[in-house]
Amino acid sequence: MMETVKLNKLPVPTFSHLGVNYAERRPIEGEARTIAIESGITDISESSRCTVRAERGGRKSVTQYIGAGSDITVDTDIMIGDGACVTLVQVFDSRAAVVSRLNAKIADNAQLDLVQLYIGGDTVSDNKAELAGFRAGLKSDIAYTLSGSDKLDINFVAEHSGRKSVSAINVGGVMNGSADKVFKGTIDFKNGASGAKGTESEDVLLIGEDVRSRTVPVILCSEEDVEGSHGATAGRIGDDKIFYMRSRGFSEEEITRLMSRAKLAHVINRSDEETKRRIYGALGWGDEDE
Amino acid sequence: MSQKTQISDVDRSLYDFRFDEDERDRLSSGISPDIITEISDEKNDPEWMREFRLRCLDIYENTEMVKWGAPIDGLDVSKIVTYIRPKSRMNTDWDSVPESVKETFERLGIPQAERESLAGVGAQYDSELVYHNVRSEAAKSGVVYTDLESAMHDERYAGIIRTHFMKLVPPTDHKFAALHGAVWSGGSFVYVPENVHLEIPLQSYFRLNAKGAGQFEHTLIILEENSSLHFIEGCSAPKYYEAGLHAGCVELYVGKGAKLRYSTIENWSKNMYNLNTKRALVEEGGSVEWVSGSFGSHVSYLYPMSILNGRGARAEFTGITFAGEGQDLDTGAKIVHNAPETSSYINTKSISKSGGASTFRSSVVINKNAAGSKSSVNCESLMLDNISRSDTIPAIDIKTDKCDVGHEAKIGRISDEAIFYLTSRGLSEEEARAMIVRGFADNVSKELPLEYAVEMNNLIGLEMRGSAG
Repeated sequence: MMETVKLNKLPVPTFSHLGVNYAERRPIEGEARTIAIESGITDISESSRCTVRAERGGRKSVTQYIGAGSDITVDTDIMIGDGACVTLVQVFDSRAAVVSRLNAKIADNAQLDLVQLYIGGDTVSDNKAELAGFRAGLKSDIAYTLSGSDKLDINFVAEHSGRKSVSAINVGGVMNGSADKVFKGTIDFKNGASGAKGTESEDVLLIGEDVRSRTVPVILCSEEDVEGSHGATAGRIGDDKIFYMRSRGFSEEEITRLMSRAKLAHVINRSDEETKRRIYGALGWGDEDE
Repeated sequence: MSQKTQISDVDRSLYDFRFDEDERDRLSSGISPDIITEISDEKNDPEWMREFRLRCLDIYENTEMVKWGAPIDGLDVSKIVTYIRPKSRMNTDWDSVPESVKETFERLGIPQAERESLAGVGAQYDSELVYHNVRSEAAKSGVVYTDLESAMHDERYAGIIRTHFMKLVPPTDHKFAALHGAVWSGGSFVYVPENVHLEIPLQSYFRLNAKGAGQFEHTLIILEENSSLHFIEGCSAPKYYEAGLHAGCVELYVGKGAKLRYSTIENWSKNMYNLNTKRALVEEGGSVEWVSGSFGSHVSYLYPMSILNGRGARAEFTGITFAGEGQDLDTGAKIVHNAPETSSYINTKSISKSGGASTFRSSVVINKNAAGSKSSVNCESLMLDNISRSDTIPAIDIKTDKCDVGHEAKIGRISDEAIFYLTSRGLSEEEARAMIVRGFADNVSKELPLEYAVEMNNLIGLEMRGSAG
């Protein structure tokens, strides 16, 4: 029997028959190189251990472009000191399997802006942001486009222990063919996180008849003075939208293409020009100006 | 110094009375082939049921305990008495019911409810039904409402029972479904013929008086085409220090175009483990509406499931959970869309206080063959203090592109803005808080049968002391 490992464990398991409690994949062997990411775009094509650090009051904006030809693991540790701000863009553009683990610690008045784009592939992505500081902030915009037999399993935990900490996780995606996606998003309000606020949302556009989309938006709460909410929608393009656009001269094919692009645009637009150019190329969209 | 708003616990004085039991009525605790054979002998089971019970025991012994949900470490099934001999045979005449049993149900208001607002009543005391009656006009229309054992021995219904019993909830479903299959006792059988609409509800009430015991009643309801029924289920037990177990099973078959409303008020005492399984199969154009209030028990696992199996079938779940001190209530609903153009709606509220933990857990599965289906899930939680816990764990599994699914959840406390607004309109802060909590539960309480809605409002009776913190 093939050996597998359990990854992306849901913080609180639920009904086993849904198959969302963990992702099961073959273990990925091999040494990981160590990279201290300072600025610009870092290309990652082999297993790596990355660190991103922003000292007190500092600002850092970096990109990881993950494009591997063989199975890799990518571990990313982020430390954000008091009052510092990190913007991290992660683009997953691999045909091989990728296991990504991201761990962020966010101090007082610090902010993490995390942008993730998943372009096909077979990716397991485990993300944890510890909002430990007073007014620590997390804004996470995630998008995916999956087709064929692509597989994606995202686990995202925003752990609020800091007072008045704020998190927002926004996920949008397009699924085609027989793609299989699991999104598990958890907002965990720890006791003592008074005044904390957390929101998460997912909006999936389903195009292929054989897709499978699983969503588990979890809120765990052991603090009274918090506000948490989550919302999820999934489905095809609404008849009213199709009617409106058809009446403006668009074909159904064009409507689907436009709506699919729109689902990814809010994430792509947060990238720098070079990353954008690469993403357009990877998606076969031609030049941005077209 | 300001004090927190206090919201009272369930007034349990109504339920916390008990009568002595005769130790000779109890079978040995735990579960074994001998105990199961003894239960079969007591009940004069047909051969197929004897074999079925033993097969369930085998499944029980080979099935792992669930690995999610509230902790059930305090439950030791080897110490649970699974069967208690009845004090009398089942009666259809209230006067023939033994005095202590009669007094129990009279204090719970069951005979009065039967006289005033019900088409039929079933009353189970420990392991067996002690009273069952249905109004003559309902019986004349062909409605059958009796205890499951009598139906199983009646040649008119024996075949129906055999083809439906534990087919929706197979013993392989989970460990406690297998346990139920092995030791089930009591419960109701309801059959509503085609085109019959029962205007007034039927009610079964389950009372567990014995300490350290389990109740394993089985409810089987079959609605034929274009019929309708409202069924109410109530349950309670007095408090003991020993753990008690409720592992009942409800199977509902809703025919084409039929409509079933199933209301439950669960008010077990806080030593009970409530591990109940409920499931409905809904055919074309049919609908099932679950109304569920979970107030009692130490630990609950309760997720009524609706399988929408025919085009246009519909399910609605409305529930409220109130978790107080020492309670861990894991409740929610499951929906499977298994036919085109089916729709489901889940709407729940939960309140946690005094260290209680409430978990909303749901699953909505849209199968590939359910094109054109719609589902909406909405859950709201209110935390009333800092020592309680409230979790929401919904899951959505979509296997077709032709569907619309929405989900929304909110968690929070009573907002200062709302209090400010109401107090600026002349209400005291205490009145404002009471109004907000009642309003929070309102859309669920208005779905409850009247007497239960009153009970729930009393339960949310607010005791205000000083200003809120």
